[in-house]
Amino acid sequence: MPEMADLISTIREKTVQQALARSLMTALCATLAAVIFGTPLAYILARKSFRGKNIIEGLVDLPIMIPHPVIGIAVLSLFGRNTLPGKMLTFFNVEIMGSLTGIVTVLIFVGAPFYVNSVKSGFETIPLQLEKASRSLGAGMTSTFFRVTLPLVWRHMMLGAVLCTARAISEFGAVVIVAYHPMTAPVLIYERFTAYGLKYSQCVAFWLILISLLLFISMRLLSRERVER
Amino acid sequence: MINLNDVCLTLPGFSLKNICLSIPSNDFFAILGPTGSGKSLLLEAIMGLMPITSGIVSIDNKNINTLPPEKRNMGIVYQDFALFPHMTVKQNIVYGVRYHALPRAGTAKRFDQLVDQMELSRLLNRYPKTLSGGEKQRVALARALILNPGILLLDEPLSALDPMLQDDLKNLLKRLHHEFSSTFVMVSHSFSDVLFLAKNGAIIRNGTIEQTGTIKNLFEKPNSAFTARFTGMKNIYVRPASTPALAPLFRQNGNLPRWQDRHMALRPESILHDNPGPENTCCAMEGVVTRLISRGFFYDVIIKMDTVELTAQWSRHDVLTKQIKPGRRIPFFIPFNSIHTF
Repeated sequence: MPEMADLISTIREKTVQQALARSLMTALCATLAAVIFGTPLAYILARKSFRGKNIIEGLVDLPIMIPHPVIGIAVLSLFGRNTLPGKMLTFFNVEIMGSLTGIVTVLIFVGAPFYVNSVKSGFETIPLQLEKASRSLGAGMTSTFFRVTLPLVWRHMMLGAVLCTARAISEFGAVVIVAYHPMTAPVLIYERFTAYGLKYSQCVAFWLILISLLLFISMRLLSRERVER
Repeated sequence: MINLNDVCLTLPGFSLKNICLSIPSNDFFAILGPTGSGKSLLLEAIMGLMPITSGIVSIDNKNINTLPPEKRNMGIVYQDFALFPHMTVKQNIVYGVRYHALPRAGTAKRFDQLVDQMELSRLLNRYPKTLSGGEKQRVALARALILNPGILLLDEPLSALDPMLQDDLKNLLKRLHHEFSSTFVMVSHSFSDVLFLAKNGAIIRNGTIEQTGTIKNLFEKPNSAFTARFTGMKNIYVRPASTPALAPLFRQNGNLPRWQDRHMALRPESILHDNPGPENTCCAMEGVVTRLISRGFFYDVIIKMDTVELTAQWSRHDVLTKQIKPGRRIPFFIPFNSIHTF
């Protein structure tokens, strides 16, 4: 175990503070993107039958199954400077390699499958008849979604967000390919371990674990079931 | 008046085929059929919750095919109630009010009236998961009726309730239909449920309408072996006139029943063990009891005459006092007017 003095001096380091903040911020940004784009996707996958659905489900699950450096390489290949999407991004002054945008992009790839799968199973547990009953009472599709479906799937969304954030905050393999700098906490831990040894990396690891724990406890508290009479 | 003109709805593995129905305004109409026959699907097609493939659904001669469900002025009450679990009883009941241009004072009065009628006042702040089946059903009814729908669709409203609650709900539905003067369309798989409630009905089988008419007519004059069986006629015979054991039924009464018909059907309760009275109104017959099947307060008595088996339904008291047992030869009587041929 690292000593208290070492822990305090480590957290006072600007590099450590920045790396931890960067990890937290990029993971939350990736989760936000997963919520915005993943929720409608999960709804469609849970409620609709269409040709090619299995392929889309397979693509959603793919990042869970492949080694994460491969995701980094795939993102670089897709958004590299010589590719059409890469050129388009360059035109809009968006840089993937060695940037926060790049880090968030790979974190979306690695975290979103956990969010989509969790929310999809949440939608599947809501009886379709509740939505039909709402429509029969005069509510349109949008109103039904916000008044009936969303409140019932809320806990699954929070659970999915916790899983997505957890996966994103701990990501190393894909991030190190796309952006060694600016450094996220896992990359900093790796660098300190290889350059200075276990003792120096332990303190950063301790703070990353503590911050992650506090974040997940608060997310769990937010999503806990209300006691109903 | 609801009209369904040649309505078809195709789903993977099942379809409603060429449905033609006319449901008069303010009627209590029953759609009857066995499980999986497409009755609930038909209800959802009327409501607009399932898009029809072809045909026309109209109300008072106005085509409503393209009208979304929320604009059809219909309410639906599902078999499993479909109450919103995250809302209290009160929130459930008033859920739809904001979508309808209803006068505030009128709605409040209606809310009070419904809460009173359905005996929901002590449940208003409770959540659905804490309610019994009967309470849930009353909440679901109040939720639909507060919007004063022109048509109320009831999807098997009795099947999730125990027998005692079923009787209470039947009385409630009858009273509500009378008081709210809306068209009630009820789906059921049980003919006995609708006998008390509905005036007209249709029998559906494998996605097609088998027979429509008054409930009395469906009950007494089925036009197919399926309808006859569904309405509880346990004794159905093909080509009865050429069956020697049944010949007396045709010989003794001239043209009635019609001998040329392909089927004869007879309700089990129409077979009597005592001669009911005037001569020439009944056919006296004799047979051997082969089995007794207890149904609680009554017995199904299976009687064999040559190659034909008849099922009679007699009270437990009669079976015990008259010592009707398997192996005994007994006389019985069939009133000519209870024989239905088609």
